[in-house]
Amino acid sequence: MNILLEILYLFIFPGFLFILGFGLFAEYMDRKIYARIQRRVGPPFLQPLADTIKLMAKEDFVPEKADKLILTLVPIFSLAAVIAAFLYIPVVSANSLYSFEGDLIVALYLLMIPTLALFLGGWYSGNIFGQEGGMRVASLLFSYEIPFFLALLVPALISGTWDMTGIVLYMNNHWLVFPFIFLGFVIAVISLQGKLERLPFDIPEAETEIVAGPLAEFSGRRLALLRLARDAEMVVGAGLIAVVFLGGPEPLISIEPHYISWIIGALVFLLKTLFVIFLLILMKSAVARIRVDQMVNFTYKWLIPLSLLQMLLVIVVRFGGWLP
Amino acid sequence: MTGIVTWARLKSPWILHMNCGSCNGCDIEILATLIPRLDAERFGVLLKGTPRHADILVCTGPVTTQMKERLKRIYDQMPEPKFVVAVGQCGSSGGIYQGSYCVEGGIDKVIPVDAYVPGCPPRPDAIIDGLVKLLAKIKEGDKNDK
Repeated sequence: MNILLEILYLFIFPGFLFILGFGLFAEYMDRKIYARIQRRVGPPFLQPLADTIKLMAKEDFVPEKADKLILTLVPIFSLAAVIAAFLYIPVVSANSLYSFEGDLIVALYLLMIPTLALFLGGWYSGNIFGQEGGMRVASLLFSYEIPFFLALLVPALISGTWDMTGIVLYMNNHWLVFPFIFLGFVIAVISLQGKLERLPFDIPEAETEIVAGPLAEFSGRRLALLRLARDAEMVVGAGLIAVVFLGGPEPLISIEPHYISWIIGALVFLLKTLFVIFLLILMKSAVARIRVDQMVNFTYKWLIPLSLLQMLLVIVVRFGGWLP
Repeated sequence: MTGIVTWARLKSPWILHMNCGSCNGCDIEILATLIPRLDAERFGVLLKGTPRHADILVCTGPVTTQMKERLKRIYDQMPEPKFVVAVGQCGSSGGIYQGSYCVEGGIDKVIPVDAYVPGCPPRPDAIIDGLVKLLAKIKEGDKNDK
């Protein structure tokens, strides 16, 4: 692959610019559909962009008690980790540029970095609400991270590879296995909602209790970057689920010249990602916030046992030789 | 470049609501401004919980002596550019509390105010009107800065 194509891949599509644009569009969709379900008109199309530009142009400001270095690094690290995770996701065809055996695990770990960074940001913000929010972020980390990991390992188990390329190829050749991993899909979507700290799991930044949680002392461009990182994380998480459960850039047909099949693959990937985001929005508008103990109870009593059951089912089906 | 920033600033006014000793009448009207029926989000208005995120401070009440320091502190915590709207008769001039020993008599005695919304309490549409006038003022101000 020549260097120009690589730069294009990294910075324009499907790298930096594309993920930011898609993230802002996802935020618009989120707010608009949420508003329509509440019988409101909702924000205009460019609203997320206007918010971002306005925040970028505001005064740069760090409170006296906060750690300036940490508050500068946290937004940059979150955004960088999310965009790095996106590079491993196959967007146009079954091959992503940097795919290797085990890239699913790497993407999962990279998606964990924004949460840890948010905890640090809240802890060092020198604000009691920020510290409380940071503690909530850290203490709820395991309650959604374990079911998320277990659920995303199900497609890897059934296809027998840790490689997202391999999973996509397997899912496209054996799409009848989807009923067997449907439970895993549901668990993955629910725990992604917890990972993104959206309703009903927006406990860390519950604005009626602890103003904005870890974000309380972030202002101006730091807040803009954190919001962008949150949007990008939504897109990347949804894209990850769309790839490993729904088969990613399917149908993998080869039409000459090959860039046409790339365009079709990218469009199919976008549609599947938007479908997962739509499920997240529906969940957000249907429920209210739950308490910390309720969330821990829910995940440890239901999500984790169910995902273990799902893994058991997959092991029995796969090694019993009953796969379609 | 300045044009884009002005556009973004006009399209995304995030507000912070603060009660400085009001009787709660104006506060309920401010919350009524944000209900789904009037839907302030179509203008980009979001209610924020922390002064670090907000652009516009929406204050009510005649500013009691107790609230004076707190109002100043909240105002100082907001990043520039920041604007203040005084909602209600008391916030504009002190209202019926004018001359009382324990109030300052209006938001503008403590911090600079950019727009006043009179009324006891003002209707939600009056508050939206005040916000629109403030936005027009911001537009003019940014034009003069150029």
